[in-house]
Order: sequence, then C-alpha cells, then structure tokens
Amino acid sequence: MSTDVATRPPVRRAVGRVVGFGLLGAGTTPGRLLRVEAVLVLAALVLGVLGVLGGMSRVSAVHDARTRVAALTTGAADLYQSLADADAMATTGYVSGGLEPATARARYDDDIQRAGRLLTNAAGLLPAGDPAIAAVSTVGEQLPVYTGLVENARALNRLGLPLGQSYLASASKLMQTRILPAVQEVRTAESATLAVTYARAAAIPFAVLAVGLAVFVALADLALRERRRTNRVLNIGLTVAGLAVLACVAWWAVAAITADVRVGGARAHTVAGAALDDARIAVLQARSNESLVLVARNSGGGSSDAAFSAHMDDVVNDFGLLAAAERADPELTDRVAALRGAATAWGAAHRDVRRLDDGGQYPQAVASVVGHGPGTSGGAFDALDAALDRTIGEERNAFAVDVEAAEGALVALPWISAALALLAAGAVIVGIGRRVGEYR
Amino acid sequence: MTAPHRTGGVNVARPLVYLGVAAAIGLGSLLLPSTGAAPTPPAPAATAPTNTPGVACSEVKESLRPEGPLPPPGALPAGSTMARIAARGRLIAGVDQGKYLVGYRNPITGQLEGSDIDIVRRIAAAIFGDPNRVQFVVLDIADRQGSLDRGQVDLVVNSFSVTCDRQRTVEFSTAYMAATARVLVPVNSGVREVEDLAGKRVCTSAGSTTERMLRALPAHLDVYTLPGIPDCMVDLQHGKAASVSSDDVLLAGLAAQDPQTHVVGRSLLLSYYAVGMRRDTPDLVRFVNGVLEETRADGSLAASDQRWLGRLNPVPRPAPARYRD
Repeated sequence: MSTDVATRPPVRRAVGRVVGFGLLGAGTTPGRLLRVEAVLVLAALVLGVLGVLGGMSRVSAVHDARTRVAALTTGAADLYQSLADADAMATTGYVSGGLEPATARARYDDDIQRAGRLLTNAAGLLPAGDPAIAAVSTVGEQLPVYTGLVENARALNRLGLPLGQSYLASASKLMQTRILPAVQEVRTAESATLAVTYARAAAIPFAVLAVGLAVFVALADLALRERRRTNRVLNIGLTVAGLAVLACVAWWAVAAITADVRVGGARAHTVAGAALDDARIAVLQARSNESLVLVARNSGGGSSDAAFSAHMDDVVNDFGLLAAAERADPELTDRVAALRGAATAWGAAHRDVRRLDDGGQYPQAVASVVGHGPGTSGGAFDALDAALDRTIGEERNAFAVDVEAAEGALVALPWISAALALLAAGAVIVGIGRRVGEYR
Repeated sequence: MTAPHRTGGVNVARPLVYLGVAAAIGLGSLLLPSTGAAPTPPAPAATAPTNTPGVACSEVKESLRPEGPLPPPGALPAGSTMARIAARGRLIAGVDQGKYLVGYRNPITGQLEGSDIDIVRRIAAAIFGDPNRVQFVVLDIADRQGSLDRGQVDLVVNSFSVTCDRQRTVEFSTAYMAATARVLVPVNSGVREVEDLAGKRVCTSAGSTTERMLRALPAHLDVYTLPGIPDCMVDLQHGKAASVSSDDVLLAGLAAQDPQTHVVGRSLLLSYYAVGMRRDTPDLVRFVNGVLEETRADGSLAASDQRWLGRLNPVPRPAPARYRD
C-alpha cells in the first residue's frame, strides 16, 4: 500500500518538496544519505519500542487472565455454588426431622469452609479500586450473620422449639436476597474484565505490523535505488537490516495468530464453563426449591413447584445453559448428552416426589428427597451434581491449557522485538556509513 | 521506478512517506475500540404477597346446628362433603407449623402438634376412624380465606378467629377456644401496658385481627407486619421490634421459647377461634360442630387445652356452642 503511494509521481513530488526543502533542505549526496540514515535508525528504534511495549501489554494481559482474572471468575462461581449448596443443605437437613443427617451437616460445614477460603482468595486477588471490592465486602460481612442464624436455628431445633424454623427461614432469606446477589455481582464484574483482557491479548497488532512493513519497504526502496545509482551489488548492511525487520514482522504475525487461536479457545472454554457454572447453580436452586416446598408443607399453594420447573427448564431447553455450553465448545457434545440424561432422571424422580406429596404421602416424599439410593430424588440430584462438577473441572483444565499456550506464544515477543530492532538500526548505520565513507 | 529528480536517487522524503502511512495506520488502530461482551447469568426474581383488608361490619353470625348424632365413620351420608373426603382417602387441613403449643412442627419428630392439630386429628378420626388420615397444608395467616376459596383445603384450623368480615366468604364452626390480644415484651423492657410502647415498633402477623386492632389504638404504635408471628419473634430477639402483639395463647408459645420475654398488659381484643370451612359445604360445618360437641362432652377438648396450654393462667376453657338455627 505504501509503495503505491510512493510510486505515484505527483504525490511523491509534492511530499518531496514540502519535506525536502521545508524541513531538511537540499544538499550534497553524503548529506542526504546521513539524513536518510537518521530517519531509518529512528524508525527501527520506534519499531523496537512499539514491539517491546505491545508485546509486554499482551503478555501481561494474558498472564493476568491466566493467574488472576480467570481465578476470580471461577472463584466467584465456586463461591456462589458453595453458598447455594450450604443453604440447600441447611434446608434439607431440617426437612428430615429430628437431628439433621450427618451427611447434610458435614456437607454444610465443608461448603462454609470452602466459601471462607474462596472469599479470602478473592479478596487477595482484587487490586485496589476493583469494582468487585464492595460486593466481596458484603459477602464477608453477611456470611457470619448467616452462619449465626443457622446455628441459632440448630440450637432451637435441638431444644425441640419450632422458632428454629423461623431462624432458618430468615437465614435463607439473607442468603438469597443479599449474599448470593453480591457474589453474582463479582462474577459479572470479573467476567467483563476477563472479556476485555482477552480482547487486549488477541488484538491485531496494527501498529507493529504497519511500522515494520514501512521500515522494510523504505529499506528495500533505498537499497534498490542505491544499487541502480551506483551499479553495485547489494549493500550488506541494508540487506541485514531489511531481513531483521522482516523477521520481526513475521515473528509478530505468527505470535499474534497463535495467540489469537489460543485465546479464542480459552474464551470458548470460559463461555462454556460459565454456562456450566450457571447450570450447576440453577440445579442447586431447583434442589433448594424441592426441599423448601416440603418444608413449607403448602402443597398446591403459594410455595409452588413452578420454580423447580423454571430452573430445570433454564438448564435443559434448546436455548438453555447446556445448549449454550455446547455451542461455545462443540467438544462437549457427549458430556452435554450425559448431563441431559442425568437431568431427565432427576426430573422423573422429582415428579415422583411431587406426586407423593400432593397425594398426601408426605413422609414418603421426604424420604425420597433426603435419600441417596437409586430412584430417590436425592440420589438423582447427587449424580447430576457430580457430573456437572466433573465437566466443569474438565472445561477449566482445557481453559488452562489454551491460556498457557497463548502466553507461551507471546512471552518472547518484547525481547525478540528489541533485539531485531537494535540489529536493524545497527546494520543501517554500518551499511550507510560505508557509502558515506566513500565520499570522503 | 521513475527517474530521480535533480541530483541522484537518495531522498529522505521516501522513507518518511512510508513511515507516515504506517504511523497513520498504527494510530488509527489505537482508536479502534476493543470489543468483548461478558456473559451475564440470569438473576432470580422475588415476589411479595398482597393483603387486602375488607370493609368492617359488626354483626357476627352464630354457626349451624349439628344434624342429630354423628354418623359412624363407615356410614357417612351418601353425596355429602364428608363422603367425598372419605372417598379421597384423606382430610386436607390448613394449619400453621410455627405457633408453638397451638400448631407447630416438633423439630425432633418432624410431626405437627398442638391444640389446633388435636382438633384436626379428631375430625379425621370422625370421618375415617383414623386420626392420621390427614394431609396438612401450612398456610400464611393472610392466606387462610384464600386457601378455602381456591378449594386448596377442606377446612382451616389455624387460630382462625370468627369475624363478621370473614363470614362473607367463610362459614365457621362453633368456637372451640377464646383468646385475647395482648403484647409480648422483653422482661427488662419496663413495659407494663400497650401505652408504654408509644412510638415503638410493634410487630404482628399480616392479615390478622390484631393488626387492625393495633392500628386503631390511640397509643400511636409503630405497627408493622410479617407473614407469621414467629417471624416477629426473630425480630424481637434481634432488637428490631420492641414488642410482638397477638393473642395470649400464641404469645404464651413465644414466651415459652424465650424466658427473657413475658406477656404484659390488659386484654386488647377478645376473639373466638373456630374451624373455618367453605360456605358451600354447610353439611361439613354441621358435621364438624357435631365433632366439637363430642369433644366438649367427653372432656377431650379441655384435656387437650390443659395438655398444651396448661402453663397459661388461666388455662383457656372451651367456649360454649351457639347456633343460629
């Protein structure tokens, strides 16, 4: 493109008049050679600076994505999942009557411990001024209040006092209306940051490619004209400089394309992983609702089963979360089919629970929900949850592979750019210096 | 290539042109916005129940007289509401599970218990010969009439006091218990009468007779409501409410769960609890009144009250039956 402009005589003359006479003036051949040398050396150094800065920006973006932002995004999803699960376990433990089952109690304790750990990690990864800090603080402030209410409910339950149920209800309300929305805010903010980071790491390097090609064309143009003017073989200095600039441009192009492919892969795994995280959360909410409807003992009334159907429909319908995960990562087809199967099995077990409860067989309905055996709603839920957990883990591993490869492709860019640009500048000085020396 | 102009081929303008074009491209690319939209997962939505108070009226009707002695469980009149319930295999009763001693879920056993629950089981025993043929449906206080209107439940036994207003849509049995509204406060609060609570936050259940009474008091209370009385108790224990107001039998259940609270003040409103049923099932109303007659006669109603509410002074006594026909 730039050669087109340069070979068009009217434009060349016009620019030549302005720049040649206005800024640098006319002069002898060695004088002109020295001015051209200065411009080319400066251009090579600019190329080097652009390469170092651009390369460092990309490396830091992809490094940030790999070590911090992705960790925050998945950490927030895990935190949401832990807290929603803790709430589901507290409710399920209550529905069974008597002392809550040891398994439900243990899982609740694990969830709360994990939530504490994830919260500490998240707080450590957030730089000052990050938009998610306020939401993380809310979770940190309200989580002890939540566990306090749950423990109070447990103490009252042990005393056989029904007020415990009201404490459990107010704990659950705090979780659903304040804590979980705050965690969701963190997820949203960090997902947005991650998207921006990906864009930074995979942007087309216009500046480096354009300046690099321009320097190369200018060097080639000069070398060819010198050869024609002096009728000599190629100038070694200018040839080396041209090759160094070309190598720099080629390295950048290859690194940018590799990084783009890998970042694209990482982005796809992130989108698929987020859809699977959402699916797992929706499944947990459906599970909570299943228990809450039994706790409320209001069959056919206000605390309806509709929320269960709505959550599960979000997961399995043709434009739902599993479909979104499969669209983002087509390699998930088999996994998604297995997850759909597990969701269908749970849906069937859940319909049995509703049939039992609506038919007046409340104890049998409770037994299926708190059970773990085959055919029970509890067992089918456990299977679906475990399958989701596995698939999410695989997706995160695939993400890690891609983002590490992207960083690997980019990591040498700043040093390669600097080295090749300095080599080009040195070669220009040597090459033109020899020509100028011939005039002394 | 064109011929060099004037002197030789070397001209600084040529590299400058190339670099100028590159600079334009490079700077232009900086102005391009970097795109990337984050996926936002859907957020769950919440809804709030509504409560519409009716127009006040004053004339409370008495209930319907039982038709002779109760039929035995196997011989319910054909085509009656009781026969329909018997054919279904279970009685569907609207109750509460948070009113300690009256209608509550025992957290140790997971079973519903209390004086209201005893009445439900007695009615089930009269229909089926088995007090356990019951499907309990737990209702919000404000949803007691609505659950009957929708046909969600056969009857409501949930400290449901008879009012003229409610009789527009509900047919009540004879009263089985009398209760008076009072206030529950922390023992160290110094509050002795409802007037001491002027300007303070007083909690009661939404849609209750107590709510309307409190708002009409000249004592300028800051009245607010929650779905159930136990929710008010959580607020009281957290210092968000200065007092909980409700009927003495319900407040006694709260005080029994927290020795740091007690019931004080005069009786603010006398009310009678009865079994609520649909107006289009008068045969069931007469049948339930027959069951209540039996419980009064054999002493089981008084025994149930003594068992659950024996700590009240005085223990509520079964109200006498009155009929309009």
